[in-house]
Amino acid sequence: MLEQVPLQRLGHTIIVTLQGDLDDATVERIERAVTDEVAKVRARGVLIDVSGLAVVDSFVARVIARLVGMVALLGAVSTIVGIQPAVAITLVELGVPMDHVHTALNAEQGMARLRRMWDDTTGYRR
Amino acid sequence: MTPLATAAEPRAPGEAPTLVQITGEADLLRVRSTLRAQAQVAGLGLTAATKLVTAGSELARNIVRYATHGQGVVLVETAEEGSRRGVRARFSDDGPGIVDLGAAMTDGYSSGGSMGLGLPGSRRLMDEFEIDSVPGRGTTIVICQWNR
Amino acid sequence: MAEAGVDSALTAYETMIDSVTDYEIIRLDPEGTILTWPSGAKQLTGYSAEETVGQPLSMLYPSDEVPAERLLGELRVAADKGRHKIESWQSRRDGARFWASAVLTPIHGHDRSISGYVLVARDVSEAREQELAMRSMEQMLDAITDYEVIRLDQQGVVRSWNPGARTLKQFTAEEVIGHHVSMFYTEEDRRSGLAEREMAAAARAGRYETEGWRVRKDGSRFWSSISLSPIRDDKGEVTGYVKVARDLTDRREQEQLVQRQRDEILELSTPVIQVWDKVLVLPIIGTLDSARAARLTESLLERIAVDQAEVVILDISGVPAIDTDVAQHLLKTVEAARLMGTTSILSGVRPETAQAIVHLGIELGRLRSRNSLQDALQLALRLVGGGSADERVNAHA
Repeated sequence: MLEQVPLQRLGHTIIVTLQGDLDDATVERIERAVTDEVAKVRARGVLIDVSGLAVVDSFVARVIARLVGMVALLGAVSTIVGIQPAVAITLVELGVPMDHVHTALNAEQGMARLRRMWDDTTGYRR
Repeated sequence: MTPLATAAEPRAPGEAPTLVQITGEADLLRVRSTLRAQAQVAGLGLTAATKLVTAGSELARNIVRYATHGQGVVLVETAEEGSRRGVRARFSDDGPGIVDLGAAMTDGYSSGGSMGLGLPGSRRLMDEFEIDSVPGRGTTIVICQWNR
Repeated sequence: MAEAGVDSALTAYETMIDSVTDYEIIRLDPEGTILTWPSGAKQLTGYSAEETVGQPLSMLYPSDEVPAERLLGELRVAADKGRHKIESWQSRRDGARFWASAVLTPIHGHDRSISGYVLVARDVSEAREQELAMRSMEQMLDAITDYEVIRLDQQGVVRSWNPGARTLKQFTAEEVIGHHVSMFYTEEDRRSGLAEREMAAAARAGRYETEGWRVRKDGSRFWSSISLSPIRDDKGEVTGYVKVARDLTDRREQEQLVQRQRDEILELSTPVIQVWDKVLVLPIIGTLDSARAARLTESLLERIAVDQAEVVILDISGVPAIDTDVAQHLLKTVEAARLMGTTSILSGVRPETAQAIVHLGIELGRLRSRNSLQDALQLALRLVGGGSADERVNAHA
């Protein structure tokens, strides 16, 4: 399953790279693969890179939001990075609720954000 | 009338519209790529094109979810009005239709367990949005996005 | 024998044509004396056979319009040409006149000499009146050179063409008469059946006015103002349309130029400024309509992506009034920026704007706001981290 799904591990973090035009079945398969992997490796963070998505419709947005919720239930934190400007304004106009989703401009900032969020959830202060 | 083109290549203004048949979820990819190619022909900006493709994806998914056997057709063509150009797409199905159009155009309304953003959301994304639905007979939605 | 054969053939022919009404089909001898008078002739003129047979043809014509000598001349022309058409007035028994279209054909004997004539005449008064009326209208239209004034039939086929139409569209009358009016439309309008819809609208409302693109002979386009009025017959049926058109391209270009200049000035007045590494300021000046607000959002978000800006300051101190639409739009911009991973700070919110936003019941959520641009910058610099904010601002200035 993993070889069909764009997942990478970097320390305690799983990096998910979404790109191209994804059909619904692929999106749902990725969702299952990520939750399985988080549980299996006891990951602390999930970084979802969507910079390669030119379109995010309400279905994909909903799956991403759902995935963030599942990852939280599995005890990890997650962040979405690289939402394109046109995609961002489209999601807002479309009215997809993304309030609980944390975002960052790029992978580097996303990794920093994941670290801060992990520290917050564990009560650790620098 | 000029015959309908079935290929997904973009059409210049005045050419026959591109027809995409919807019979299942896999066809959403074809609807999106046809709209994206047509947006390029019409000279739509990135944001306008993204809104168009997203709205098209929502409407095509509605057909897969709610139309009889999830079947319908999408006609995509270049629109022209004065010196501006755009993309016009017509989504038709012969499904159950929408009984309460007013409610269906309101955020949060859904008869199929989704978030119910498809219709009102698509309308917000488009320059033009027209819906015509007869309960028991089907629904036709025409959207149009201009290059300026 | 041949003579008798011709005669009997003619007699058979005459019984047949006796049943023809509406037409006056009579046989004349070589001198123009009336030999037969079928019922059609009686119906048309009111004369009986007794009154006409044996009389000269000239009795059927008013002598002031068609003198007897002229009729003899017409007979000679028919003899020479084999067939001769005469359009003239004819008299009725009651003294009235009708406009007759007649064809005179000579009958030859076996020695090729003229043994007589057949005259076939028909009342074409009505057609002539229409023709005259139309001709006078078209003569009038010919004097109009700065407007296109043309006549379409009920299907939309061009039936008349004036000099103004030629100037406007470059086509000559020969090139367009008999063709459908949609030849002047853009391909898309042609396909969508715009011409038919316009005619239907004119027939319904009694008049239809519009503006749109039309195409000249050389393929170039012009912006045209068009008025279409139905022509109705006495029964009220639409028999055609009069179309008046004028070139408005100059006026439209003028309007567009003004609009473009206005847009450019607005764009110039709202530049996105990078005040610090990863910090952008968007000073919004002037009234925001939804089109301008959408463009602002678009250019701001694109700039965020290019600069990978972590903080943007939306300075609204230069916006005279914030209504619901503008407030909603600002919030959408803030939310879109957040989805990209960027924090927004609103600055320059005046007391009345603050009251308005809260009274409108708009959910401000996590929106950060500062009273002045200076305060907003300090917050921005703290958010991007490191160093003293004051030092940074001063160093940059």
